[in-house]
Amino acid sequence: MSLKLSLHTKPDVPLEAAVICTDKLNGANETAIAALTVFHGNDQTALGEFFTVKGQCDGEIHIEGDLANVKHLGSEMTSGKMIIEGDVGQHLGAGMSGGEIIVEGNAGNWVAPEMTGGRVIIKGNAGHMVGSAYRGDAVGILGGEIIIHGNVGNELGSAMRNGLVVAGGNSGDFTGVNMHAGTIIVLGEMGIRSGAGMKRGTILSMHNADMLPTFSHACTYHPYFVRLYLAYIKEQGLTIDDAQLVGNYQRWVGDAIELNRGEILLYVN
Amino acid sequence: MITMKIKSTEIVDTFAEAFKMSGTRVIITAATKQWAMAAAQSMTGFATSVIGCKCEAGIERELNAEETPDMRPGVSVLLFAMDADGLGKRLVERIGQCVMTCPTTACFNGLESDTTAIVGGQLRYFGDGHQIGKVLGDQRLWRIPVMDGEFVVDEHFGIQDAVGGGNILILGKDQKTVLKAATAATKAMCEIDGVILPFPAGVVRSGSKVGSKYKSLIASSNDAYCPTLRTVTGKSLVPEDVNCVLEIVIDGLNEATVADAMRVGLHAAAKPGIKQLSAGNYGGNLGQYHLYLNKILEAS
Amino acid sequence: MTFTTRIVNGKVYDPMNNIDGEIRDICIEDGRIVESMPDDASRIDAGGMVIMPGGIDIHCHIAGAKVNAGRKLMPEDHRRDPHPETAFTRSGTGGIVPSTFATGYRYATLGYTTAMEAAVPPITARHTLEELDCTPIIDKGFYVLLGNNIFLHNLLREGRHEEFRQTIAWWVNATKAYTTKLVNPCGDEPWKGQRNKNITDIDEKVDGISPRIIIEAFVNAVNAMGFPHPPHIHCNNLGHSGNYKTTLETMRTAGDQRLHVAHIQFHSYGGVTGKNPTSKAAEIIEYVNQHPNITCDIGQVMFGNATIMTADAPLAYVLRGFNKNKWVNADTECESGCGILPFTYQEHVYTHTMQWAIGLEMFLLSEDPWRVILSTDHPNGGSFMNYPKLIRLLMDKSFRREEMGRVNQKAIAKTALNDLDREYTLNEIAIITRAGPARALGLKNKGHLGPGADADITIYDDMDDKEMMFNAPRYVIKSGIPIIADHEFRGDHTGRLLHITPEYDQSIEETVKPFFESFYSVEFGNYAIDDSYMHDHEVIQTTKTS
Ligand SMILES: [Zn+2]
Repeated sequence: MSLKLSLHTKPDVPLEAAVICTDKLNGANETAIAALTVFHGNDQTALGEFFTVKGQCDGEIHIEGDLANVKHLGSEMTSGKMIIEGDVGQHLGAGMSGGEIIVEGNAGNWVAPEMTGGRVIIKGNAGHMVGSAYRGDAVGILGGEIIIHGNVGNELGSAMRNGLVVAGGNSGDFTGVNMHAGTIIVLGEMGIRSGAGMKRGTILSMHNADMLPTFSHACTYHPYFVRLYLAYIKEQGLTIDDAQLVGNYQRWVGDAIELNRGEILLYVN
Repeated sequence: MITMKIKSTEIVDTFAEAFKMSGTRVIITAATKQWAMAAAQSMTGFATSVIGCKCEAGIERELNAEETPDMRPGVSVLLFAMDADGLGKRLVERIGQCVMTCPTTACFNGLESDTTAIVGGQLRYFGDGHQIGKVLGDQRLWRIPVMDGEFVVDEHFGIQDAVGGGNILILGKDQKTVLKAATAATKAMCEIDGVILPFPAGVVRSGSKVGSKYKSLIASSNDAYCPTLRTVTGKSLVPEDVNCVLEIVIDGLNEATVADAMRVGLHAAAKPGIKQLSAGNYGGNLGQYHLYLNKILEAS
Repeated sequence: MTFTTRIVNGKVYDPMNNIDGEIRDICIEDGRIVESMPDDASRIDAGGMVIMPGGIDIHCHIAGAKVNAGRKLMPEDHRRDPHPETAFTRSGTGGIVPSTFATGYRYATLGYTTAMEAAVPPITARHTLEELDCTPIIDKGFYVLLGNNIFLHNLLREGRHEEFRQTIAWWVNATKAYTTKLVNPCGDEPWKGQRNKNITDIDEKVDGISPRIIIEAFVNAVNAMGFPHPPHIHCNNLGHSGNYKTTLETMRTAGDQRLHVAHIQFHSYGGVTGKNPTSKAAEIIEYVNQHPNITCDIGQVMFGNATIMTADAPLAYVLRGFNKNKWVNADTECESGCGILPFTYQEHVYTHTMQWAIGLEMFLLSEDPWRVILSTDHPNGGSFMNYPKLIRLLMDKSFRREEMGRVNQKAIAKTALNDLDREYTLNEIAIITRAGPARALGLKNKGHLGPGADADITIYDDMDDKEMMFNAPRYVIKSGIPIIADHEFRGDHTGRLLHITPEYDQSIEETVKPFFESFYSVEFGNYAIDDSYMHDHEVIQTTKTS
């Protein structure tokens, strides 16, 4: 039997609910869960003040309601599954290392910052700083997968060192800024200044993009490894057409102000 | 001793003595089936016997585009060596020299196992610092820049315990008849997944025994099956009216698949003019696996 | 709020009064230590405990513009080290450069009750005073940077020594400083004016004056005016191999007049510039041993994270190339430069081990602990939170050997550390962390437990593991107020600003003013800090000799 949390009272100010996470709720009974501490602004309050708790968590949590103002869900998650039926607020899955979070709606900013493993799937759109480093840190996510079916904001995958970040729609400015390594795939269009300051890593987009002057065009070729990635995300339910699978890609190399070891691959229609 | 027959062919009541080896599966893909095959043939060349070639290898089968990781036509190759260490070294040598060199190819691990050899992780140095590592799920890949683009190769290849040296012997009235039977047998055996026949077209005529009168040799001609020596050694196993013997050696990823291959081989080889079907062994003390022909046939 | 108490049964270490581990009563009344008090006063039973005066940090960077820039540079460091509030204390953030409140509390948790901010450009003094006012519990002061001051350079160039002296006094008054600080004197102007330029020799001339001329002028002026603490100098060539010669020359320049050499470890390197350093600890400490006019603090390097923050802008530029991390370089009008960058000292790195070992060598070769004072140049050599570990390194030779086994052996082999078996005693620790800095600073009411002294007292559990012991005093009393009892905060306190008010001829302002009108972004009238910025403060007297 899985746990079901239904939001009965909409928070006036952001509700910080890092405690809503499979690892922290496994095995606890309804009363105990309802008594757990959440932060409503700067007030400490009980989870039950906002959520109806039903069932018991055996590695799976269903959450429903408008959670756009509920933050830190699934923080530090290591295993299990969380299914969020609606929209969700900032810092979803912060620091998670395993398990899966599925959001049927949209997600706020800062999806899965400092992630090291596991998977986050957002069926709608997501905000800025998806899969990124927190301010001041040199390194963002170290692994795991973030798959956004819709559009995402600025600084997608900023400073990431490993892992896979996918946007089914468009991405904002500074996609992959300062990335160390890893892979970002944007099936839609990217904003400006993609890959600024990147050291290594791959940014792949299915559309032409404005390249910074510190990126140079190396060649147009058919990278075999792209087939593996596209096949993989196709399995996750994203739309990849066969021409993209077998097609040619421009290879742009940069950022020359850094190591010049990164690449932006742009599908040539 | 004969207790069993297929049609008119006698099945000698003996066993094939097979050895524990380490095996792996390599998937080579390329822009076309032909290029994948070219790399596979090159990679499985000079790999008939561990004694002389340090490994045994062969083509398992062709793969359709839908079956390969990068959705291109491919070939799967099995490679066997006496231990995991040696197998790793052979993989690096052979993928480096025969697959990386071949236009358009990519090379993937085809065997899930906890034991692995680092292959791409070695070959990457060919990239001279320009190689790129990628991680997708549990898979780690290396992209090595080459003159037609990139050579993509898995970091790890799975290695598992395997069975080498399964065999059947075909004893018949003349060379033509035995060759025909052997060809029929290899064709049938190649349909089995998980096995390869490491010798030329799957057939070996220079069967060997352990030891030699010459001290430096660890193996020598299997004189018991040489028709020319039928009356010379006093230990000949060549019946009268048998003038040619050929052997088919089978390496497989486990004992059951080797037995399967032997079974279909025996049935296909049992033709008019084939007096006996037998198997080679060393008395049973050297090999870990004893594949009795009677049991194999009864199991079907 | 007054607090009257008698501390009984504790082993007292009060080197200034020649008390070395005797069981004595300490009586506290109205924030001071008194001779005696009635028997019915409340008591603290310090049985099995060690009593020392509160610690004094003679050289650290805890407030002001560059410290704040260091904080802003590293939000990640703060996020990982929150400093929660208690019933008595406020919250803050920790990390290598803690927030102002956390800085005060964390000093207190080590038993330190006084700390001196070592480098403040005059124009940022106002900001520094604001921050110091928000640094609780400890008493504090700051040294004002005047060694790269263009106006003062101009006076020297023209040989106007009397006006030079008057101007220094004006500037110290205008900023509420404790003494003058020289950082790489003469180095900032060439750096600001010419690409990647620094000076490498103390006799190198920059527009007619040299570092030596500046050092000499400051030593003469400050000693003549009788500042309680002499010029506090960060020598030229910090961190460069072969810089020990510059350091020796700098100390010679002072003759027999008082001079404090800051973080001397960073200035004791042999070898050739640009190559790996060797240790010249023995040569430098020998000079210090022989010359009672010199005081110094070590600036020990501790392995782990640090933040380089210095007025030595060209140095920060050189260091920024090593770890390719974020960095700040700044020009502070006509007064100074500034550089800040996060830095990590690593055991396996030759140079870092060499720096670590040189610091320890100097401690262990020092013959007069009163003048060789404990510091890490917080946060440059590591956070002040490393002091307990440093104390253990000095007191426990088997621990020291253990640590020596974990560092770069090539570097260790080139030092004398293997031959040094000295272990500091508790009395000597009380000197290098309390009595010594108090005397060097001219703080007559601090660093001891005699009648009349400030009741700044630390009581430690007497433990074999000195790191644990110095990490967690059982009681900390500041100005007679119990701040920590049984390891927990029981009170709060603002702490005083310590500053000096040397006399000067007011007419000097007419000389200074035109320069301000021409070159400063601040009106002269708005520049000097008025007394409304003074909260709790104490003026330390100057002793004019001429
Ligand atoms: Zn300093």
